[in-house]
Amino acid sequence: MKNIQFINGSQAALKGAIEAGAGVMFGYPITPSTEILEGWIGAASENNSLKYLQTEDETSAGFAVCGALLAGVKAFTATAGPGNTLMQDPLSMAENLRLPFVCIIMQRGGPSTGTVNFSQQEVNLSAFGGNGDGLRCVYSASTVEEMYTLTIKAFSTAWKYKFPTFVLGDGHLAKMRMKASLIKPMNSVNSSPILKENNVPTLLRNCYSSEEAFGKKLKINIEDWKKTSLKIEEFEAYKIRDAKELIIAHGSVADAAKDAVDILRNRKKKIGLFRPITIHPIASLPLRKAISKAKRVYIVESSLNQFSRIVKYEANGLKTPIIEISKPAESFSAEEIVRKLISS
Amino acid sequence: MLNKTKKINITLAGEGGQGIQTIAKILSEASINSGHEVAYMPVFGVEQRGTPSVAHITISNQKLRYPKFDIADYVVILQSRAVKAIDRYVSPNTKVVFDSSTISERDLPKTSVHLLGLPATKLAHEQFNPKSFNIIVLGALSNLLQIPEKITWDLVLKVLGKKFKNEEIKNINREALLFGRELVFEKSAFTKAIFKTKHRAIIFKGYNKTGQLFPGRCKGCGICITKCPVGALSFSDDLGLYATPIPKVDLEKCIGCGNCRNFCPDGSISIEKDTKISK
Amino acid sequence: MEKIMPSCWRSQTKPHLFCPGCGHGITLKQLGYAVDELKIQGKTTFGIDIGCSLLAWNFFDIDTIQTHHGRTTPVMVGYKMMKPKRVAIAYMGDGGGYAIGLQSLLHAAFRNDPITAILVNNSLYGMTGGQMAPTTRPGEVTVTSPDGKQAEFGDGLKGPELVRQIANKKAYIARASISKPIVLKNTLKKAIENQIKNNSFSFVEVVSICPTNWKMNAKQCFSRLSDMEDYYPLGEVLAQKEKNVE
Repeated sequence: MKNIQFINGSQAALKGAIEAGAGVMFGYPITPSTEILEGWIGAASENNSLKYLQTEDETSAGFAVCGALLAGVKAFTATAGPGNTLMQDPLSMAENLRLPFVCIIMQRGGPSTGTVNFSQQEVNLSAFGGNGDGLRCVYSASTVEEMYTLTIKAFSTAWKYKFPTFVLGDGHLAKMRMKASLIKPMNSVNSSPILKENNVPTLLRNCYSSEEAFGKKLKINIEDWKKTSLKIEEFEAYKIRDAKELIIAHGSVADAAKDAVDILRNRKKKIGLFRPITIHPIASLPLRKAISKAKRVYIVESSLNQFSRIVKYEANGLKTPIIEISKPAESFSAEEIVRKLISS
Repeated sequence: MLNKTKKINITLAGEGGQGIQTIAKILSEASINSGHEVAYMPVFGVEQRGTPSVAHITISNQKLRYPKFDIADYVVILQSRAVKAIDRYVSPNTKVVFDSSTISERDLPKTSVHLLGLPATKLAHEQFNPKSFNIIVLGALSNLLQIPEKITWDLVLKVLGKKFKNEEIKNINREALLFGRELVFEKSAFTKAIFKTKHRAIIFKGYNKTGQLFPGRCKGCGICITKCPVGALSFSDDLGLYATPIPKVDLEKCIGCGNCRNFCPDGSISIEKDTKISK
Repeated sequence: MEKIMPSCWRSQTKPHLFCPGCGHGITLKQLGYAVDELKIQGKTTFGIDIGCSLLAWNFFDIDTIQTHHGRTTPVMVGYKMMKPKRVAIAYMGDGGGYAIGLQSLLHAAFRNDPITAILVNNSLYGMTGGQMAPTTRPGEVTVTSPDGKQAEFGDGLKGPELVRQIANKKAYIARASISKPIVLKNTLKKAIENQIKNNSFSFVEVVSICPTNWKMNAKQCFSRLSDMEDYYPLGEVLAQKEKNVE
């Protein structure tokens, strides 16, 4: 059944969280993610099964999320920029303890307080932040609609596979209103307490005394993450079948890149777009295949090569020349992507 | 207005507090309700007041992707200080709607060719009240974009209805909207841009006191008026920094207590006794 | 009589970007007069937080550092340690001082770090659009307490009283209000002098107004401010007399 609404990305993410069965949100005001907290509190006014707390800061919000997860409730938070930096402390604990932490990030210009507007500069933080090896799952939303569908997916991924899971949006997606078709992509996943309250107590720690003991635990987590990768990696291929050149982009930049592909196709250029929907784990084999088939690859992003670094790591050994088009903390129009491609 | 393949890009720019986002929200939702595909993107910084507030709207008959554009088909400028935020969107083909009562032609982007004057501040002050400014602009733009009047008014009620405390206020707003819709844009012979601050300092003397007033720093907050113990201050008809009224002083009533100076957050007003009483 | 603007105000950045009627404008003016009267413009360093206080980054002709949210206090502590002859001022809002930055504020008081912390309390988060703050009083409606601040979110946090519990005896702690500008100026002067003369910590909370987020005109703002002053008493906050333990 069609459910089309004219809403912004924050509202879409909020609806996704509610649809996914989230029970509690912890958060702290920070532009441009605050509207999600405000919207959740508004929804909780009308539905007292929804709980919330505006905490004293982001770090506490993240640890409170961890607490709620241990109790078996689908908990989440939303933050941005410097808040994401602070969130890495509790996210590291979640990564160590395999907690199903869902975190919605509305990227803004960085480092530091930078801007409140837009960037794609929180890829490193979300995928590899904290003091671990990045055993996390990161979805990158390219439209208002995807803020809804990917938030629902994030809850499912987090609870099925027990890794911190992110939905990356940005400040423009947060604030821009467009028509979104709110169709649930999957059923809600079940949740259950992690501290099980059984006769046999659940004993959780994240600190180990010996290299070997910790190494053993990490090995298990890494194996699990690799298996998870194959199940959840996702991408979109737009007009790449006969493409001689390839754009690789994620998030809202990729949506503009689709229009750029259409403009160039109108000028008889055979070009296509490979859009990773999960940027970590990224769909490695399809990505390598797409790059090797192309004569030239352009990576377009609003950061200084944070995404390109991921792509190039996967493309190791391939001969196709890769051109990086980076515009940290500033957005692209479709026409601008076309101009930059032509002049490179 | 829209044929099959074209889309219209509109950029609105004013200052925080003028109601730019409200106008844009209503226009974009009204366009949706008229059956179009629409994208609305607000752009503003951290300040709540005093810096540009920009809204981009794209209206199309085809499904839209990420809506950022390079050149606007229409640019609506409601505050001269916002020009620098949007001049990059103006090409010789862009139609530039501007508040001719506060912005002069020479303040507009150099690339502006097609000018449409809309003296909304003056009309609001003279025919309604200053707060009607954004409804008048909304009326004029909804007519320009051929959005039906009923759809527009329904959205005004949806978005702003709670602020209409009584029937009378609701009716004034309705009249302001209809008034805006009837307006014809000025193509030349624009209204003089005098509905704005006189930036010079105002010095006034009398009753052994000397006062200073800086309209270029006065934001019309009214604190000096509230804090004057003898009611010597009241709002005048002259305008300050944000085209809101600045105070005027009755020097005869004034006792030179210094409250206005001490309380003014902006350093815009001070009245001193001419002879100091020294201890 | 005082000049229309403090001498240490940077005139090129006026009119400033605080909202019409903002309590920051009034506080920063009295702070400016205090700096002028103490003649310390040339030796003061001014630290500010995120939130509306960040709009003061180019406000004074004084070295200024805008830090991260809640981190102005520790930045000025570190700075002062290296530059003991400078006057270090840490300026923040109620979010930066009583939420994310409370731990640092308490520890600076506890250690008697010789800085002057000034906190402007408008009982909500202004720059982000009016969310609840620790000093939002019970029942008050904000965008994150749409049904009024509930009991489980705490009452209004009484910061100077809290800080006094943990502060060194030599700390000067007070609450002032923008409703009494001359008293405010003198309180700020006393606080700064505690840093200069006694090499000790000082903290002044300034109860203030926010017409934009309170959605009130000047008269209504001062009426609400008067209610706040009933809840948050003005004056110096002294250490309680120690009780003998039998």
